[in-house]
Amino acid sequence: MGGFSLRQALLLALIAFVPAIGEAFYFRNQIPWNSPVPASELVKVETAKEWGAQALWIDARPDDQFARGHYANALSLNEDHWDTQLTNVLTAWSEEKKIVVYCSTQSCSTSRQIAERLRKQANLKNVFVLEGGWEALQASEKK
Amino acid sequence: MKPMTKFLILALSLCLMDRAHAQLKFEQTEIELKPTLTDENAVAHFKYKNTGSKPIHINSVNTSCGCTVATLKSNDVPVGESGEITATLTIANRTGMQHKTITVSTDDTAQPQTILTLKANIPTLLDIQPIFVFWKQDEEMKPKTIIVKANADAPVKKINVVSSDPEIETKVEPGSGPKEWKIDVTAKDMKKLHSATLSISPDYPTKTPKVFFATARVIAPLGN
Repeated sequence: MGGFSLRQALLLALIAFVPAIGEAFYFRNQIPWNSPVPASELVKVETAKEWGAQALWIDARPDDQFARGHYANALSLNEDHWDTQLTNVLTAWSEEKKIVVYCSTQSCSTSRQIAERLRKQANLKNVFVLEGGWEALQASEKK
Repeated sequence: MKPMTKFLILALSLCLMDRAHAQLKFEQTEIELKPTLTDENAVAHFKYKNTGSKPIHINSVNTSCGCTVATLKSNDVPVGESGEITATLTIANRTGMQHKTITVSTDDTAQPQTILTLKANIPTLLDIQPIFVFWKQDEEMKPKTIIVKANADAPVKKINVVSSDPEIETKVEPGSGPKEWKIDVTAKDMKKLHSATLSISPDYPTKTPKVFFATARVIAPLGN
């Protein structure tokens, strides 16, 4: 009886394994492409707020969302108007500044892309991605 | 029928049951586009067909980014009918590999959501490195260099650079390779703070000229 149950369990596992392999192959390109941001490049809302005037806030969301509301003194910088908006950011930048980039939510990727371009193309240091994005910022304001 | 045979049939049926209900079938759930240097949009067509036995209603089509718009002609898909979702990515100032997702929600309980992926590798006409140079007022004025490389597929023969601040000057020289230039940037006056936008214009494309930007600044020393 024990041997029969074990055989059944193994067969069940085998049967489940075959379509699982097939599905994994078929959907192989749907593995999330966004690699996690290194912890050293992330900043929590509380920490970024503690930086006070030292922080240069960058809103990476589209223009219409920025117009509806943004963090105090944040500058808009998105890939729709990168060329023109970047000048404002670089004019506001100084060496002691810590740049905090945010987009809509925890899962959005725009802030990562903007932060990466600032590091690679403008050679800026101290560029951070805000954990939780605009959603987390708004939640912290309500506390 | 032996218990073992019954068991195998049951297990196999359970495995296949979920797949049998999937009705809205997409030809491709991922499309990779290669826009050209002059394209303004990247457009992907996700074709689908209702292969099931009942009509499907597409409740919503949401994109992961405001830069991508997804449209479809009809939300209702009768049995056997085909259709397509057109996803348009606005290129604007985007460069490099872009990944945008489109979430399709239907009333099919067996497969309520399908994630479509639009990939687009957007070429850069000019690669400018770095796009920002600066001097601190208390440092010795040495020219800063910006390297400009044109895309190998673009017939760019020369670039023109204009500084918005007369106290910050630029000089363009040939670079170390073909389609490469060196911009030497100098600040004539280090006593005052300066900020210049450098407009970099290639001689291609001629019909819709493109201008690229870099920034040069004279900034205050740390602590001031």
